[in-house]
Amino acid sequence: MEGSAKHPLVLALGNDLLGDDAVGLYALRLLRESYGEQIDAAEAAGGGLELLDILEGHTEALLLDSITSTAFCAGTVLELSPEDFSNTAPPSPHFVGLPEVLGVAAALDLPMPRELRVVAMVVDAPCAFGDKLGEEVRQSLPFYLQSARSILDTWLAAEPNVNRENSVSVPASSLF
Amino acid sequence: MESPAQGATQTRRITIDPITRLEGHGKIDIFLDAQGNVAKAYYQIPELRGFEIFSRGRPAEEMPQITSRICGVCPTAHHMAGTKALDDLYKVDPPSAAKKVRELIYNTFMLEDHALHVYVLGGPDFIVGPQAPKELRNILGVIGKVGVDVGKRVISMRRRLREFISAVGGKVIHPVFGLPGGVAKGISSDELPTLKELANDGLEFARFTLQVFKDLVLKNEEYVKLITSDAYTHRTYYMGLVDAENRVNFYDGMIRVVDPIGKEYAKFAPEKYGDFVAEHVEPWSYVKFCYLKPLGWNGFVDGPGSGVYSVAPLARLNAADGMLTPEAQRASEEYFSTLGGKPVHFTLANHWARVVEMIQAAERMVELANDPEITGKELRVLPTNTPSVGVGVVEAPRGTLFHHYETDERGLIRKVNLIVATQNNAARIAMSVEKAARSLIHGGNVSDGLLNMIEMAFRAYDPCNACATHSLPGSMPLTVRVHNQSGEIIDVIRR
Repeated sequence: MEGSAKHPLVLALGNDLLGDDAVGLYALRLLRESYGEQIDAAEAAGGGLELLDILEGHTEALLLDSITSTAFCAGTVLELSPEDFSNTAPPSPHFVGLPEVLGVAAALDLPMPRELRVVAMVVDAPCAFGDKLGEEVRQSLPFYLQSARSILDTWLAAEPNVNRENSVSVPASSLF
Repeated sequence: MESPAQGATQTRRITIDPITRLEGHGKIDIFLDAQGNVAKAYYQIPELRGFEIFSRGRPAEEMPQITSRICGVCPTAHHMAGTKALDDLYKVDPPSAAKKVRELIYNTFMLEDHALHVYVLGGPDFIVGPQAPKELRNILGVIGKVGVDVGKRVISMRRRLREFISAVGGKVIHPVFGLPGGVAKGISSDELPTLKELANDGLEFARFTLQVFKDLVLKNEEYVKLITSDAYTHRTYYMGLVDAENRVNFYDGMIRVVDPIGKEYAKFAPEKYGDFVAEHVEPWSYVKFCYLKPLGWNGFVDGPGSGVYSVAPLARLNAADGMLTPEAQRASEEYFSTLGGKPVHFTLANHWARVVEMIQAAERMVELANDPEITGKELRVLPTNTPSVGVGVVEAPRGTLFHHYETDERGLIRKVNLIVATQNNAARIAMSVEKAARSLIHGGNVSDGLLNMIEMAFRAYDPCNACATHSLPGSMPLTVRVHNQSGEIIDVIRR
């Protein structure tokens, strides 16, 4: 983890060897350029308890991830919150899902973010080796960034400048 | 095994897809006959495409970084196997201090990874219980059973071990310290007090975990009965790295194979693996099933005539004459005497063997932390030879891991072959799943608890499907689909 825990955390999940799976990493690198030291930026290729280590101590955390879905086409941007995951299995391709991570933190009384949001891009092929994003994902990257920026701007008490034409907010349970 | 398509029209089908608490998502298909008994069971995993093509033409020096990123669960194992393959590729022998730093990092990783399995992945099966309600068979259930203070201790220990790996080797997921002929960074004198404290605490933690295992598992007669039951038994060959005295070594050594009665069958240098290991393809799986080449592929059967072998903790302890460190040796003697002597064929004994290995990893950390050479400054021999072929082998937590690179004279990759631990174990895992299913499902009685006990058969191996198909780790929901004899879905259960 970089920076101190007093800034909003932006955590990108993904593997930059697996093409579309890296969309969160691409977005994070762009957000770093925009926000600089206003955010704490972190990347994780794993998941599970690794998330616990990274999330602990932050008051606000934004997770950037990719997701597969039978309900939405590739390139769709989804905004999710921990409540969306509470009654369903984690859609993230990382073992030990977010609900379990937060459950462990609660059980052990570890300080977790007061606000935790997830922005996920629907992708078709997160399991093929490659170092480039697919066309649908690349074209939707600006909308993905807008969703992330909207959340961060709110947290940073900056003037929101949101265009969510291509963004939807849905419960995770509708994805399966 | 036949293809799932064969005979499927006359059977009822149960699908467990994907498997819970297992890195990488897989699927178990169980086909029931008209009487509701198991006709066939298959362990399957999804395909991940393009690794060979992705690697071709890249500098070999990138392979330890690339391969460490194909699996977020055991990146250090891939990084180390890749680094050792580069040593062999350039025919360069690292300085002694560099080898010790590598071994220190590697044992730290083994301790951390084994702890993760004991408490998070496999532990729920025994610490919480195989028949416990499904909502409790997870890490939260483990915390509920062992208590919040123990939960905090586990989380804290794991974090400290990972932080140490990161401090020396870069990010755990993206380690960068291994170089052909040495390491990029050593241990400074300033770091020594922290290292010694960590190593000592790690050993205390491993001892504590062994006691937890004894108290919660070995004192429970039902669990011991389950561990030693025929449903979870296979008499196969076993493989593992050993040192010059045939003791378990995670980082280096010769590869030793023992037969089903524990007699040495083969012992060979890593670069000779192609003479002893071959791969068999089945139409229903993307995994290539490894077998002992001289014995040939004789199907999914055990016994001395079968080429099926196993890796991972159970196999490592069977394949060696002893442990590398004294406390681990004592722990292994108790293990073997309790379970009827060597070799132990009980799949679920992997859990106990894993705890014994935690002791060895921690003791070795202590030894290396107190070795004056660990702060040595001579950390690299620069490679000067023209590269051609390199093979590197380590014992990953999940078993023997082979990296084999071939390059042109500029060191650009021409060919890559990885044989990961789960691939070495794939045939035995498939046999274990089918045997457990046959033993546990009768008359169409398929409860959630029974399905979990079938899953236990492969979870004991700590398999990593992601590695086996070169993908990232992941876990998806468990879905059980029950099909009638016509193939129609009559019930869907999601966890």
